[in-house]
Amino acid sequence: MEYWKDENEPIKAFVMLFERAMADEELTGGMKKVNQLILFDYTENGPNCSFWVDCRNGELKVGPGKPAEPPDMTMSLSADDAHRSWSNKLNPVMAITRRKIRVKGSATGLLKLAPKLKKVAAIYVTVLKDLGWEDKILT
Amino acid sequence: MNGNTGKIINVDLDKGSIETELLPEEYYTGYIGGSGLAAKLFWERGSFSADPLSPEAMLIFMNGPFAGLKLSGASRNSVAGRSPLTGNWGDSSCGGYFAPELRYAGYDGIIIKGKAEKPSMLLIEDEKIHILPAPEYWGKGTDEANRAIKEKYGKNYRTLIIGPAGENLVKYAIILNEGHHAFGRAGFGAVMGSKNLKAIVVKASAKIMKLADPEKYEELRAELNPKIKEALASDVMRENGTAANLEGGVVSGDVPIRNYTSNYWEEMGQELNGGVLTEKYLTKRRACAYCSIACKRVVEVKEGPFAIPEGPGPEYETIAALGSLIGSMDLAAACKAGRVCNDLGIDTISAGGTIAWAMEAFERGDITEKDTGGIKLLWGDMETVIEKILPVIAAREGAFGMLLAEGSLSAAVKTGKDTINYTAQCKGLEVPMHDPRGGGHGLALAYAVSPRGACHVASPMLFLEMGACFYPEIGFEYELEPMTDKDKAETAVIAVALGALENSACFCQFADREIAIPEWVGLFNSVAGYNWDVQDMMMAGTRVFYLKRLINYLFGRTAKDDALTLRMLEPARDGEPEGVVINFEGMKNKFYELMDMDPVKGIPSFKKLVEYGMGAEAKRVWQET
Repeated sequence: MEYWKDENEPIKAFVMLFERAMADEELTGGMKKVNQLILFDYTENGPNCSFWVDCRNGELKVGPGKPAEPPDMTMSLSADDAHRSWSNKLNPVMAITRRKIRVKGSATGLLKLAPKLKKVAAIYVTVLKDLGWEDKILT
Repeated sequence: MNGNTGKIINVDLDKGSIETELLPEEYYTGYIGGSGLAAKLFWERGSFSADPLSPEAMLIFMNGPFAGLKLSGASRNSVAGRSPLTGNWGDSSCGGYFAPELRYAGYDGIIIKGKAEKPSMLLIEDEKIHILPAPEYWGKGTDEANRAIKEKYGKNYRTLIIGPAGENLVKYAIILNEGHHAFGRAGFGAVMGSKNLKAIVVKASAKIMKLADPEKYEELRAELNPKIKEALASDVMRENGTAANLEGGVVSGDVPIRNYTSNYWEEMGQELNGGVLTEKYLTKRRACAYCSIACKRVVEVKEGPFAIPEGPGPEYETIAALGSLIGSMDLAAACKAGRVCNDLGIDTISAGGTIAWAMEAFERGDITEKDTGGIKLLWGDMETVIEKILPVIAAREGAFGMLLAEGSLSAAVKTGKDTINYTAQCKGLEVPMHDPRGGGHGLALAYAVSPRGACHVASPMLFLEMGACFYPEIGFEYELEPMTDKDKAETAVIAVALGALENSACFCQFADREIAIPEWVGLFNSVAGYNWDVQDMMMAGTRVFYLKRLINYLFGRTAKDDALTLRMLEPARDGEPEGVVINFEGMKNKFYELMDMDPVKGIPSFKKLVEYGMGAEAKRVWQET
């Protein structure tokens, strides 16, 4: 991996990112509209390299690993591309076209989140700073 | 012949005669089918001096080699000829159900000339072809006429029908298939109207197709259909239609607002997107023949001032053109306005573009109530648009109806006062609902060099810029950034060839994004037996593009016409592209250089044309001048 020393690092950062996003009123509204259980699967970088976000039924939850129930959508990519993506440095359309991102399940929720990526990226920078990982910030 | 039938129908409405004709195979291998083959036929037989609404004008309908195959996106049809809206080469593509039926009936296309004495229709039942009187349908909206024809002949008879706008020669009148699928652009509904031809109806008795290599084709079909169906973009469009990503488009600055004066309107994005259409008004999803994407919408608005019964719903272009572009974020109103346009037979893009121009002109005081017959033109006043403006356009009623029925360029020229500066059109064709300042600077170049005028489907530039394509076999493996000119001219060279291929093959751009270059070659070879390699195929695409450029040249169009208006090139005032300037001339000059096109004439060099097997065409344009 280009940005991470082990499979735990990215999950720590991404879970913290979603915990903070869930405190943002605008993003919370957007995520609730998604109304899906989503698995972010980075297991190509390690068996435990994944986390899930549950936006169903007006509630928001996030956790490491795989969800207890089958996800509505699974997004599979490398932890490095996920880092680029949350930093808003990866064109998601291009990444999907070139199979860097593989999506299984209904993808309509993705479009509801896409307009918010810029704001998510701003929160992600604060997460990396707070974790002491300024060197990982992509400019 | 394989894939294609090789046979076309020649109709002379002056004489009332009908003849069938076999075309030479080299027409197909050289110009593919669809709008490419139509261009070849126009080049050989068309009049370059005839008014597009005169009896001498040719109206050409042409299938691609894949029409009738049970393959997603493959069964579109092209209409082509000289556009009454622009005076240039025009073509327009339509999905739906006409193309396969025409193929099964035994024909690749129809060429219509002349003018019937009285309102007529063309009925094709295999080898039985008749010109029939049709006074009972004349004056009727497309919906009523479609229902009446199907009631008389049968629901499986496939229809092409014009509305009152076509009868009244509105320059952006459409031709509608099955009351839902439109040949929307360039005004060929008016050409049909000028010929007193209300409808074309086709029914085949069997579904037989001869393919070059059925086994190889079946292998390809088995791979391609699931790939197209399961693609993420297909999934999204099936769920929420072609407006699924409208909200994302607003964020990037792609969606035009109030005649392209703004690139950002957050609330509008939240109100007009395809998800809202699904939640509030969708009753059914529909598809073109054999397509698994099913992006078509059926909607019902149950109550309110814009209530409409269940019927065809709007696509993205209609929602934006009759929504954000004219200052409205009322989705019910866009549904109703789209329905009214369909029934009257008007192109929603050109209608929206022309009305948006008029609204701005009214706001600026360049036109007044004296010019509009007392109609106040206010941004977002959808009641006035639906109840007053669209009907006067379709009827060419009064001076205002006559003004707007000609399109935005003509209206601006007639109005004067530099109002042309804020038209959003190229070569007279109103710009579709993708603003190149936010959507991608290469799109500005694609709009300008497109032979028919500003067009987002003349080439896949929009998709190439957004990253939805990856074609390493033809050198497109690099990444593009939208709001820059970097690599855009080089990409446009690929895009114009691919676009010509798509429109000549009559393939849907939403489906063919999933087809890799070797699969394209495999389709042409297994279905039509063209025996191409990748280079042959790309050369055919470029050849079609070049031929359309030559046709425009003989219409008097040159390099200076590959231009965008001031409105399209001024820096965006807000949103993501705020302040960004498009390096239009830089991209255009580079494109001309790469395509070996003359910087004054706007056509390929003699040498380049010969290289593409167009020696006779080269002599005609280079020796005539």
